[in-house]
Amino acid sequence: MPQCLRNLLRAWGDTLRAIGGDFGVLLILAAAPVLYGFFYPWPYAQQAVTRVPVAVVDYDHSSLSRQITRFAQASPRIDVRWVGGNEHDAQLALWRGEIEGYAVLPRDLKRDVLRGSPAVVTVQADGAYALLNKAVLYGFAEAAGTVSAGIEIKKLQARGQSAPQAMASRSPINVQMVALFNPTEGYGSYVVPAVALLIIQQTLLMGAAMLVGTWAETGRHRAGLSAWAGRLLGLCSVGYLSGLAYFGWIFLVQDFPRGGNPAGALVLLAFYVPAVCTLGALLGVWFGNRERALQVLLFTALPMAFVSGFSWPAEALPAPLQALRWLFPSTAGIQASLRLNQMGAPLGDVAGLLAVLLGLAVVSGLALAWKTRPALA
Amino acid sequence: MGFAQAFLASARREAALLRQRPWDLAMISWVPLLAVALLWWTFSAGLPNRLPIGVIDDDHSALSRQLTRFLDATPGLQVSRAYGDPAAAAQALRRAEVYAVVSIPRDFARTVKLGRAAQLTLLHNAQLGTHSSLIQRDVRTAVGTLSAGAEISARTKRGEPALAARVNMEPVRVGMITLFNVSTNYEQFLAAALIPAVLHILAMTAGAWGVGRELRDRSIAEWLGAQPSWAATGGALLGKLLWPLLGLGCVAALALLWLTWGRGWHPPGSTGWVALALLVFLALSLAMGAAAAAGSRSLRTALSATGFVTAPAFAFGGVGFPLQSMPVLARAWAELLPYTHYIRLQMEQLQMGAPLRYSLPTLAGLALAAAALLLACVPLLRSAVARPQSWGGR
Repeated sequence: MPQCLRNLLRAWGDTLRAIGGDFGVLLILAAAPVLYGFFYPWPYAQQAVTRVPVAVVDYDHSSLSRQITRFAQASPRIDVRWVGGNEHDAQLALWRGEIEGYAVLPRDLKRDVLRGSPAVVTVQADGAYALLNKAVLYGFAEAAGTVSAGIEIKKLQARGQSAPQAMASRSPINVQMVALFNPTEGYGSYVVPAVALLIIQQTLLMGAAMLVGTWAETGRHRAGLSAWAGRLLGLCSVGYLSGLAYFGWIFLVQDFPRGGNPAGALVLLAFYVPAVCTLGALLGVWFGNRERALQVLLFTALPMAFVSGFSWPAEALPAPLQALRWLFPSTAGIQASLRLNQMGAPLGDVAGLLAVLLGLAVVSGLALAWKTRPALA
Repeated sequence: MGFAQAFLASARREAALLRQRPWDLAMISWVPLLAVALLWWTFSAGLPNRLPIGVIDDDHSALSRQLTRFLDATPGLQVSRAYGDPAAAAQALRRAEVYAVVSIPRDFARTVKLGRAAQLTLLHNAQLGTHSSLIQRDVRTAVGTLSAGAEISARTKRGEPALAARVNMEPVRVGMITLFNVSTNYEQFLAAALIPAVLHILAMTAGAWGVGRELRDRSIAEWLGAQPSWAATGGALLGKLLWPLLGLGCVAALALLWLTWGRGWHPPGSTGWVALALLVFLALSLAMGAAAAAGSRSLRTALSATGFVTAPAFAFGGVGFPLQSMPVLARAWAELLPYTHYIRLQMEQLQMGAPLRYSLPTLAGLALAAAALLLACVPLLRSAVARPQSWGGR
């Protein structure tokens, strides 16, 4: 066996032993990804926002206003907690957080409808919380819309149209929404598969930088290329396992959309994990301090998540950020993983993203080799 | 040494240390400033415009072309491609070149002309939740406008006067008023919620780092003295935490002022109250970090705890996903986290314009928790000083 291969294999084994013998590093590299894999999706377990507490302010007290209230009570989106006659009370309840919105049924609602003059039900929802706002608005809009459609169809039938004719004339063009890739439109199914890549990245970065930072404190980071290849291989072995845990186990156990292109996902990990591990090792050398990686990297996940383009459209980012965001492996990793795991794209569709990861791995590898070159005798 | 003396000595010592340690200084000054600026910049567009969608037009009629023009004219949408067949559209969706595809069936215009209901299909990428929900809303609006136009022209053809047709079309209309954040501006909604979340992480990190480092470097006796009194320990702790509180507090105040008045947003509630609450929230975060370090006597463990408590705080905070839809135990954890309470107060004041009395208990609670945690640190630190064998843990 050539010497360099022997060095590589020895460094690989030594690194795995070093990880196993360092409780702090082991905790971050092996335990944290699994823990976060269950802890992070926890709040989203129910996936959907249903039965948002609301109120109805009924100034009309007519059969029509009661009908709208009944339809609102039947809506799965909202839960009508009380029906009252005072908007002020509703406002106070909103501030106290007891309800998230309310509908005002105006005086003379029924009379206006019968006379054929415009009648408007106003819905007030708390725009500070986007998902609650949506549930309240749509819940009331559907309830009032159904009642409105019933009246309109009756009027059309009174003028001699058949029931199906009346249906068609009241809504000549309809649009059917078909949700792709996340058919239940669950919130956790949307957020967690993307955040998973970020968790993998952050735990790997911190674990690798912590281990290498410990070496750097004592000058042990200086080594030849073959030794460093073995060390990175050691870190990548652990990183690959945590990637597999997410793609093959955590997505499965929690029933997130998955398995679109499993072979492609394995290839993605083969690019993503080395890019992250090499960057982590480089950071460790740069920090030269065991705990510094935690201090510096803990807050970075939030900004990285929002520039990666899965929740906030990349089109809306300022132009310089659209370019700078590719410096984080998570950007390409999240985009490629969503396409492979959740959307089932063929590998060819993510070739550009894999090239970004390869570029990041090569550049940080070169920088690492330069920073850790053995001192001249 | 008394409280005041210890406070001054500790603050002076910490200032000298910060001058020698550029990383430590950076983490309470320009790094937070940069992080906050990056978050604001990310959402500075306010609302995403012109999200790319595709169209499959199997009808090739004047009406289908009109629909395509309607979609393209909607500010939130951009019809970037027309696809000849569903396979090409599916591929574009998988590659995320477009986020949705509107499919117009053959005979679309003829169906409408004959007075029958025509059906369009919107295929949207629900894996990208924000994109898909914005696109659904805009497509619904554009199609609704087209449908209303078709209905009015059908009704006037049957001899109804145009004005009556308009009213008869929708006997009960729903006026949707989104209170508070009228334009659903994401700069005011997400950036304003994320900036305190990031400062929370940075503050707990700074608290853990400041105290944990003295233990790791075995310099705790140098900091507190060999047998510090209760008062001296408390004073020294506050003197140390003074600088991160000042640094992060300034960044927080700047961010708050910039997001509101600097960007022409005049919140209905009290911005001053929010600034005060933010400062107290940061003090509490610092105290949490200090307590984690004093309790575990390990810088690394304290930082890991910081990651566990603060990094997912935004996910549990009820901003993106509401508290009331969380499982009971997850909600209980969320209620334990200070971010959940702070952000509710911020929403009440910046968005909802709630009277101050609704936000008073929250501020009092945050202040009380900060005081209690700082007090709890004192015996922990005194016992750590007394046990040199427990120093230096990594």
